[in-house]
Amino acid sequence: MEIKRYLTRRLIQILLSFFVILTVLFLLFRLAPGDPVSRMIDPSMSPEDAEHLIAQLGLREPLWKQYVVYVRNFFTGDFGYSFHYGRPVLTVIWEKLPNTVLLFTSSIILSALVGIFLGKIAAWNKGKPLDLWMTIGALVTHTVFLPWLALILIWVFAYKLGWFPITGIISEEIWLDPESGAFAKLLDVAHHMVLPMATLFCIHFGSYLLIMRSSMLETLKEDYILTARAKGLRESVIRDRHAAPNAALPVVTSVGLSLAFSINGGALTETVFTWPGIGRELVFAVSHNDYPLAQASFLLIALVVLVANLVVDILYAYLDPRIRY
Amino acid sequence: MGRPELKGDIEIRSRQHWIDHFFEGWSVFWENPLGKIGVVLLGIFALMAVCSFVPPLIHPMYHPMTGVDPDIYSSVGPSVRHWLGTDFMGRDIFSQLLAGARVAFMVGVSAAFMSIFLGTAFGMIAGYMGGFVDTLLMRLADVIMVLPTLLVVLILASLFGQLNIWTIVLIIALFRWPGVSRVIRSQTLTLKQRPFIEAARVAGASHMRIIFRHIMPNVLPLAFLYMTFRVTAAIIIEAALAFLGFGDPGTVSWGMMLQWVWKTGHMFKALYWLLPPGICISLITLSFYMIGRAMDEVLDPRLRKEEAAR
Repeated sequence: MEIKRYLTRRLIQILLSFFVILTVLFLLFRLAPGDPVSRMIDPSMSPEDAEHLIAQLGLREPLWKQYVVYVRNFFTGDFGYSFHYGRPVLTVIWEKLPNTVLLFTSSIILSALVGIFLGKIAAWNKGKPLDLWMTIGALVTHTVFLPWLALILIWVFAYKLGWFPITGIISEEIWLDPESGAFAKLLDVAHHMVLPMATLFCIHFGSYLLIMRSSMLETLKEDYILTARAKGLRESVIRDRHAAPNAALPVVTSVGLSLAFSINGGALTETVFTWPGIGRELVFAVSHNDYPLAQASFLLIALVVLVANLVVDILYAYLDPRIRY
Repeated sequence: MGRPELKGDIEIRSRQHWIDHFFEGWSVFWENPLGKIGVVLLGIFALMAVCSFVPPLIHPMYHPMTGVDPDIYSSVGPSVRHWLGTDFMGRDIFSQLLAGARVAFMVGVSAAFMSIFLGTAFGMIAGYMGGFVDTLLMRLADVIMVLPTLLVVLILASLFGQLNIWTIVLIIALFRWPGVSRVIRSQTLTLKQRPFIEAARVAGASHMRIIFRHIMPNVLPLAFLYMTFRVTAAIIIEAALAFLGFGDPGTVSWGMMLQWVWKTGHMFKALYWLLPPGICISLITLSFYMIGRAMDEVLDPRLRKEEAAR
């Protein structure tokens, strides 16, 4: 099985990459100017508790021993206690993760689908005004400054028109009300999600549109398209069945490659909308000097990007039968 | 993976004709509507950056950072005295906007220049040396590539405290070279097979001489194409960082202005303050992006012929 060998190789690669990140982060947190102990120990802790934790983390031991403890703690899921929440970092992050995944994956998938669809239309109408306007529109939405777009969307749709809530993920009056059913709660979250999702959607669909457009133009030059034409197939069949599926492949790749960029955007979106996700948690932790939380959220995000890249590769192999690893 | 071969093999051009090539390239560039819009927009921003020195000379109250209108201590809408109004301390928004253009150019160009320098050097070395050096550099590039740069800078800001603008530029450069290095590496790999490299080697040229004298001139145009995209990336990261409140407190950047309007709770009251910085960041990004795409077509004739294909 070729795919199995490829997967093992990629998994080892990912593990290695992750170890590099883990180690660099360890060194940074220990060797950055200032007292490393103060970065691991909650300043509000009692001296006895602090002393206990210092001994446990081996902060007075040589660096390599600290590293061993650090790696062991990582693999047992022990990231220490958040200074701000006073709870284990892992449980804090675990609570926020679903919110991020919900917002992020749904907006990426939606923007990829719309980008593919519009890119196909643009390429099909190459040279016509429709194509030009779509290209310009894609460029503009792709390059607009994300936090500003978020603020403008809030200004227009939440403040002026009042259609959507300004920030947050739930309305307390609905969630605290024992009367409201699951559907009402779900609807409430969806209602809060519209604007953040629209922000992420705007930023992403443009680049997918442009990639789909140029890839589609390449595909339309292929011989099999000529064959399809010669067979007398309908134009819409050629476009939707023969050209588009192949042309969409580079979009899948670009979703993976631009993931780091998307994560930046996700963190900004979450912060502006106070959407309780990992990205906002990281920004919050950094501005409140909550080092254990900052470190753990960063590691988790890095891990997610690495795994997502693998998923995209597998998806690509599945979608394109010509690719065999 | 991307398709680096798409970028085409850039021919070595004889030196006497580089002026002709420049004008030929320029005319192709100028025919492209995107390139034209991009250059005009960029020209406006360059003018803004140059003019940013003027307002403080007219009156100290127009100083973007320290100037305060003695009669106004809050945010007031546009007037003859303050074309775009004042911010929460009574500072002139228009002069801040001009100063922001200067910061954007400074950050964007210097970070892009550094990351292109690193990317080109590493790419050439990896491609030319091959073997262990290649694997090491490219694995390192892989690791850096998956890291979201903004979050990396955030983490570093939490560890090292307040970062000044040049540290931010340096960090951005250090984390944005992998994309370029990949492209330069693949270009170097094809160049390595060419007879003129073989000839140089037989003639006894050292590795350093081959890399910098024979390979570099052939990959530089490609590197500069990537520079425009790196400029936008650097500007956006700096702006986002400043927006989140981790920018250099000693500089007035557009991201900083947005952070002020957002954090001081003026965003629903002062549209004259909310709109200009965001529009500027978006437009300068757009202009570099358009120039990059137009340059793509100049350097890659295959894209030019797209028109004729269908």
